[in-house]
Amino acid sequence: MSYCVNCGVELDGALTECPLCNTPVINPRELSRQKKQSPYPEEKGTVESVRRKDLGILTTSILGATAVSCGILNLLVFTGAPWSLTVIGACLLLWVMMIPLVIYSRQSVYLSLLLDGVATGLYLFILSFLTADRSWLWGLGIPIVILVTVLAELLTICIRHLPSSFLTNALYVVSVIGLLCLGLELLIDRYVSGNIALSWSAVVLTVVGVVDVLLITVLSRRRLRNEGRRRLHF
Amino acid sequence: MPMEHKNTEVWYRLDLSAIVYPTLQRRDFSSVYRLSVVLKEEIDPEMMQQAVDLVMPRFPTYKAAIRKGVFWRYLEPNNRPGPFVQPDVKNPCQPMHFKGNNRYLVRFYYYGGRIALEAHHSLGDGTGGMCLLMTVTAQYLQLKERVHIRPEGFVLDPGSKPDPEELEDAYMRYANARVCPPRPQEKTYRVRGTKEPFYTLNIVDGIMSVSQVMQAAKRYQATITEYLNAVLIAAMLQKQEQEHRRRQLPVKIAMPVNLRRFFPSKTLRNFITMIYPGVDPRLGEYTFPEIVRQVQHYMRYHLDEKQLRGDITTNAATQRHPLIRVVPLFIKDFVVRQFYTKVQDKNSSAGLTNMGALQVPDSMTPYIERFDIYMGQPFSSRTNCAIISYGDVLTINFASSIIEADVERYFFRRLVRDGIHVKIESNRSQEE
Repeated sequence: MSYCVNCGVELDGALTECPLCNTPVINPRELSRQKKQSPYPEEKGTVESVRRKDLGILTTSILGATAVSCGILNLLVFTGAPWSLTVIGACLLLWVMMIPLVIYSRQSVYLSLLLDGVATGLYLFILSFLTADRSWLWGLGIPIVILVTVLAELLTICIRHLPSSFLTNALYVVSVIGLLCLGLELLIDRYVSGNIALSWSAVVLTVVGVVDVLLITVLSRRRLRNEGRRRLHF
Repeated sequence: MPMEHKNTEVWYRLDLSAIVYPTLQRRDFSSVYRLSVVLKEEIDPEMMQQAVDLVMPRFPTYKAAIRKGVFWRYLEPNNRPGPFVQPDVKNPCQPMHFKGNNRYLVRFYYYGGRIALEAHHSLGDGTGGMCLLMTVTAQYLQLKERVHIRPEGFVLDPGSKPDPEELEDAYMRYANARVCPPRPQEKTYRVRGTKEPFYTLNIVDGIMSVSQVMQAAKRYQATITEYLNAVLIAAMLQKQEQEHRRRQLPVKIAMPVNLRRFFPSKTLRNFITMIYPGVDPRLGEYTFPEIVRQVQHYMRYHLDEKQLRGDITTNAATQRHPLIRVVPLFIKDFVVRQFYTKVQDKNSSAGLTNMGALQVPDSMTPYIERFDIYMGQPFSSRTNCAIISYGDVLTINFASSIIEADVERYFFRRLVRDGIHVKIESNRSQEE
């Protein structure tokens, strides 16, 4: 029977050090003591893994079957235009978006967003085959997809890595909305007229600026936050 | 209450508490608690399996699987093989996936003379679990030692039919106050510690004499629960002080109260509510007797049938609200998880439960050494403490998923200083 010299508690014979303060157990009278059976087993247990692929298989097969059957219909029956490309592209886009939900839930959120962006770009590329003029794809479609993807990644980084609360998240979302509107107007102006001139997005940016200043002020003043909570609670 | 379909298949609504636990389920967390009994003789696993097989049908809400509906989850009878008795592991209370283990939400372990039961909280609380464990233990002893054990107290007759009251959601019977008192919402001190790797649960058991603890508690004119609560609060205060925080926070203990003491019910499902005794160090420095007094006043005020009825009614009001009932389950899950993480979990610094003094049928007494109870893996990085006593043996079981054992150290050192002889067992450091 040994006691911890620091804590004064009696220690079970199987313990080599006090679990409370990590002081080694040395009993001068029992230096060559017999190892006592521990009250706890030494084997660690593992959790049984569960197959959660059923929904993934179901989604893949439904989307795959839809895409293939539309492709066959387009090739053999309604052969006028390559209309099945829209369905095949939509199925592919949906499948990519469903990956983190039903197929591989451990996929990084950044990779998911990137794949979603790539899939949307690909879908627009497929759609461009159905239009006579394809300049909209590289002039407007792909730049908007890139802009939205970059902003979504940026927002995710802010929410996950910067201090996170309801107010800070609102700050990030409002700021990203402002940037999105600004980017959209710039891209549309560049594509339509070639001249870049801010108009409606300047109004949005002003509102976003006011809201951001308001949020930053509330965030930096505890008293204001508490006052807001008191008055707005439901 | 069991619901019967046209084809006579039975299913059970989740009770008011049980609704919350599945929503907190993560890949690395389940609300699993553990109860164990240490017998004087080594366990025979084959006989234990026989005992489990004989007893499980008597507990239909434990021989069940959890399923998702559109608006709520529910339990349905599980007739798959199992649950199977297995050798115990070093890291108990592991996550319990709803589709694993043949969909059973209970696990039975054996090690040396110990029979352990782990159950998901959505099936029932400690009282229900203890009934299952004691009935299995009694059945095992009847098979092994050929003794006759009369069903009484926690031991039920495996041959009898379950009483409908055992399966009821007792909250709904008593949630009838005419006002819904607000829930306590205050940010409290959280232990800062280094998180252990995945699936590691650190356990420290303190074994002591009931009479010595009672003597120490009497010195402060307190009951054992009040005294031990105060010791845990004092330990948390000491820990907070040592962290040299810029801003101190109140220390509060989440303590489940067995509502069967106040509202008669035989239910084997959840029938508990939480109270939060604590002190606020921002008001000034508390001496230990002052902490005891504070806990005493709080508990004596809140452990009152009227107060508890109001508390149950507040909790039930959300579930009864017609608009909330028609919200799809995935939205409810999201909202409940957010509420629990942002508000409920921050309401307390640690958990403490006292199962009290266990009584077993006389014919079982010669075979039983002691009981243990673990509140399981904490939802966030903190320590949970569970107390149970049998005869003159009082066991205090700490379970935490952080490396540091400061709270446990301050806690047990205080007991030693108060003249209590404490024996420590742990899975933290043992000879490899």
